[in-house]
Amino acid sequence: MKAQLSRRGFLKATGILGAGVAIGAPGLHAFRALAQDAITIQWWDHFLPLQPLLESVFAAYSEQNPNVTVQHTVYSPPDLGQSLQLAYPNNQAPDVFAYAGLSLPVPALQAEGWFTPLDPYVSEEWKSRLPEDVFIQGNTVFDGVLYSFPIFSFRFHEILNWFNKQMMEEAGYDPENGPATWDEFRDAARKITDNGGGFTFGWIQGIGHIERMGDSLNSLAQIAGASGPIDFATGEYAYGTDPYVNALEFLVSMAQDGTLFPTSTTIDTRNARARWATEAGGMFFDGPWNIGVLQSDFADFMDLISVTAPPTPEAGMTPYVNRGPKIGDFWISSQSEHPEIAAAILQEFISDEFQIGLAERMDQPPLDTTAVSRANVHPTYVKAIEIFNQQVRLAPSPSVRNPAVSEVLARMSDVRPNLGEIVQGAISGDVTDIRATLQEYADKMTAARETAIAAAQAEGFEVSQDDWVFDNWERGQDYTSEFYQ
Amino acid sequence: MRQRLLPGFVSEWKWDLRRIITVLILLVVCLVWVYPFLWMVSASLKTSREIFASGLNLVPSEWRWENYERAWVQANFSRYMINTVVITVATVALVVFHTSLSGYVLGRFKFIGQRFILGLLVATVFVPLGYTIIPTVQIAGALGLLNTLLGPILVLSSGHVIHILLFAAFFRSVPKELEEAAVLDGANFLQVYWRVMLPLSRPVIATVSVLTFLQAWNNFLVPLVFTFSRPDLRTLSVGLFAFIGENEIDWSGMAAAATLSLIPIVLVFFFAQRQFVEGLAGAVKQ
Amino acid sequence: MSTVRMQDSYSGMTPALPPASRSVLRQLWHDRWIYLFLAPSLLLFVLFVLYPVVSSLYFSLLDWNGFTSNARFIGLDNYIEVANDPLFWNAFNNTILFMVITVPIRVSLALIVAIILNDPRLPFANLFRTALFLPVITTTAIIGVVMTFVFDPVGGPVNRFLLETGLVDRPINFLGQANSALYTAMGIHIWKWFGVTLVYWLAALQTVPKELYEAAQVDGANPRQVFRYITVPVLLPFGLLILVITALDTLRVFDLILTLTGGGPFLRTEVVEVYIYRWAFNSSIPRLGYASAAAVFFGLATLALAAMQGVVVAYLRRKRNEL
Repeated sequence: MKAQLSRRGFLKATGILGAGVAIGAPGLHAFRALAQDAITIQWWDHFLPLQPLLESVFAAYSEQNPNVTVQHTVYSPPDLGQSLQLAYPNNQAPDVFAYAGLSLPVPALQAEGWFTPLDPYVSEEWKSRLPEDVFIQGNTVFDGVLYSFPIFSFRFHEILNWFNKQMMEEAGYDPENGPATWDEFRDAARKITDNGGGFTFGWIQGIGHIERMGDSLNSLAQIAGASGPIDFATGEYAYGTDPYVNALEFLVSMAQDGTLFPTSTTIDTRNARARWATEAGGMFFDGPWNIGVLQSDFADFMDLISVTAPPTPEAGMTPYVNRGPKIGDFWISSQSEHPEIAAAILQEFISDEFQIGLAERMDQPPLDTTAVSRANVHPTYVKAIEIFNQQVRLAPSPSVRNPAVSEVLARMSDVRPNLGEIVQGAISGDVTDIRATLQEYADKMTAARETAIAAAQAEGFEVSQDDWVFDNWERGQDYTSEFYQ
Repeated sequence: MRQRLLPGFVSEWKWDLRRIITVLILLVVCLVWVYPFLWMVSASLKTSREIFASGLNLVPSEWRWENYERAWVQANFSRYMINTVVITVATVALVVFHTSLSGYVLGRFKFIGQRFILGLLVATVFVPLGYTIIPTVQIAGALGLLNTLLGPILVLSSGHVIHILLFAAFFRSVPKELEEAAVLDGANFLQVYWRVMLPLSRPVIATVSVLTFLQAWNNFLVPLVFTFSRPDLRTLSVGLFAFIGENEIDWSGMAAAATLSLIPIVLVFFFAQRQFVEGLAGAVKQ
Repeated sequence: MSTVRMQDSYSGMTPALPPASRSVLRQLWHDRWIYLFLAPSLLLFVLFVLYPVVSSLYFSLLDWNGFTSNARFIGLDNYIEVANDPLFWNAFNNTILFMVITVPIRVSLALIVAIILNDPRLPFANLFRTALFLPVITTTAIIGVVMTFVFDPVGGPVNRFLLETGLVDRPINFLGQANSALYTAMGIHIWKWFGVTLVYWLAALQTVPKELYEAAQVDGANPRQVFRYITVPVLLPFGLLILVITALDTLRVFDLILTLTGGGPFLRTEVVEVYIYRWAFNSSIPRLGYASAAAVFFGLATLALAAMQGVVVAYLRRKRNEL
């Protein structure tokens, strides 16, 4: 589409050039544009909902620099990863790409020489406008040089409780705030199912979406008291501990009660959301982007729903979900011939205008979460951001303190069945001893990590299991850079 | 001359009870078979919410032709259609050309190295090929085929071992009187193939064409990875993915785009099938 | 495969070789047209099939994630790991089960329908053929959605039928239940790809010369005899080929499984292709070397199965010659 535009632009320009001989100035302007070589910037990402926003930035840039066109390709995350993997060795890498669908950690890609730094093309003043917690070795910075930055905030999780207001009211709960505890959730699910005449169920989820179910269990276990997949006090995997077991048993209880929409077991989140939006289920765990998707695909359903924080095991708890620092979203390729143009476009992404535009897409929270208050967004999105501000904290990152940790992660083999598969198995009834299965998973992960540590050590990297221990981590506190000292 | 193929059928085919029942059963079976296709067409005229709210119901409450408008723009239809047609037609032509040639000699002659070649061809069909894309792109890059339309054409045409075997099996079954007559008339090797054998193989050509057409038309990965720097060379199946995001699927837009892109295949199939039932028999009599 | 081995009695245009009187070179020159005819296929095959396959053979000996430069040669370690992974054998069993159940059903049902549809005087034959082919082309992602409705435990038509006829007293979660998911996927697979097998059979039926039927009719053969002594022998070589094609098809069920069940519930529908994909592209650390080893291992195993089939073929052919 973009190339066509440029061709049209070219025709227009040549037309103006002909006319310009007669009228002078405008023709001269077009001539100057033509005198420069036409430059095409290849831009790959996976942000389908952001497509109009990004392309408006590209269009604005092309207007000021008529010799530049941006060819924007939106992939699904796995296709993006696979495409990058194929493009790099064949010298076909795009100028700018989003880090998604690639399983290797960013430092491993940096070691392969995939990136061009952003730093030489941006001013100190511009850098000072980035939040301080963005500058993270291995995530955005290598050897003190800035390579990338996130456009989204780390402050989000994927287990907000989105629910149908009318069903909630009929179940006897507050139609704005819904159930607060696990017991209440279970009870609400039962009542919604009872009122549903066999067609509506209390809870609906895309249990077939394995990766998401793994993430969701990690978050839910933190609501139940875990510090994360890793216990920061000991550096051990926490999958076999009570919070994980309890969280999974909580999810399984709905399946046992018959209040989980039965088809959930094998469908993915996108499919489950569509069924939820057609009232097959009352409650649905999802991230803040849920309302953004509803806006574009199910707009007439938007005002029938509300959102609330995930239920807690007991009443009156103050739960926290710890998320590691964000990795840069867009990276400039080392194969790019025009990093200065890529950098110029990327700089726009922290402007207030862009951040407000980002909030209005209602996807992940924008890097500047205050932009939400200045944006025209659905009330549930504002509420979601408030919940995240209360609940989500910056977790420590082992690879920030010791970059060699990423060498271990790059050598760690997958353990299967993985966490999401275990969640699915427990809900479908294939996994009966939840505690033993989770403990076995933790043991296998520990073994995989030990093997990877040994392999990294053999290659001369100084790393050990102690690198996963953070003595000074405190619950409810952002683990910002000063804590690493 | 009656075709009495199925055991138990009476020889006179007329509107008797048995025949009516056969047609009725076929009608019911076909209804089950076409239902999801019809569902897709109907989904292309609904809103995303209605698609899920109405379940298996086919009739849209309101006909949403704007889905097609969106599909046309978003999937880049006008341009991708040309690329798809070029790639598909060239691939079908090339596949019929090379598989019929090699099928002919493999099926009809004995020559040095034949067993080796057959063995090599067959051995590769069992390896799951989904991920050999990495070396494929590598060699295409070395040959300068990336970012061209020729690259996907060559890759999509390569292999087709099954179709080579199908031609071989067919040509082996042709009675040798036919070519003996041609040889007596002074036809050379090429002429025997071109004037006598190839025209006989119409049902196989039709089969290979339709299945290659289908495969080339729908292939997603090859056109995608061969056009990294030239998105303007992509095909419809790549365009279809513009409707699938990480967190959302534009169901109605995708259904509309899929319907648009499938119409040509349905037409090709419908008109190609005359070939399936016009066989060798007629040719032999001439 | 032995199905296409030359019939020994037939030597085409090549004159019989006078023993040892002609050099290999002269023979090759004599057959130059043959090699010229093979050239296009072989060239494409070597470049875009053989080279990638040989490459993945090499990859399978590496500890490599597929894109960084630090590949490490580890010999047969990947193969040993594959052979010791219970999840590989789970996928292997699922795939073989899939093949053993769906292939005979598809091939035999398609033959019956092809014979019915082959009658040029059958009304609507063209429409029927097109209709049966439609699932083949229907977008897989769409089929995934439709099938969740068709097999929906809540008010889906299949369950409603089963409940109303009293065949079951509780709805079956066809795609979400461990004991039914794989079989449901098989049914959907047969339904979707039936049309392809049908097309192959229809082509094969064209090779039966009508004269044979006429002659049989003159001789007063009944339809059963016609089928047994005329149709079957002519179709046999095609039948074996179609069997192989169909079996190969069941190795390519990736898209369908991914959209129907994603391999779940709890790996119950994970087939080898999905297993390989997960390791090659979709694990936290991709392992292309390991995935290649799994693919080669699986390829060899199916080749062995095919060889066994070849033995059966040889046996059948001998029996046929005896008749």
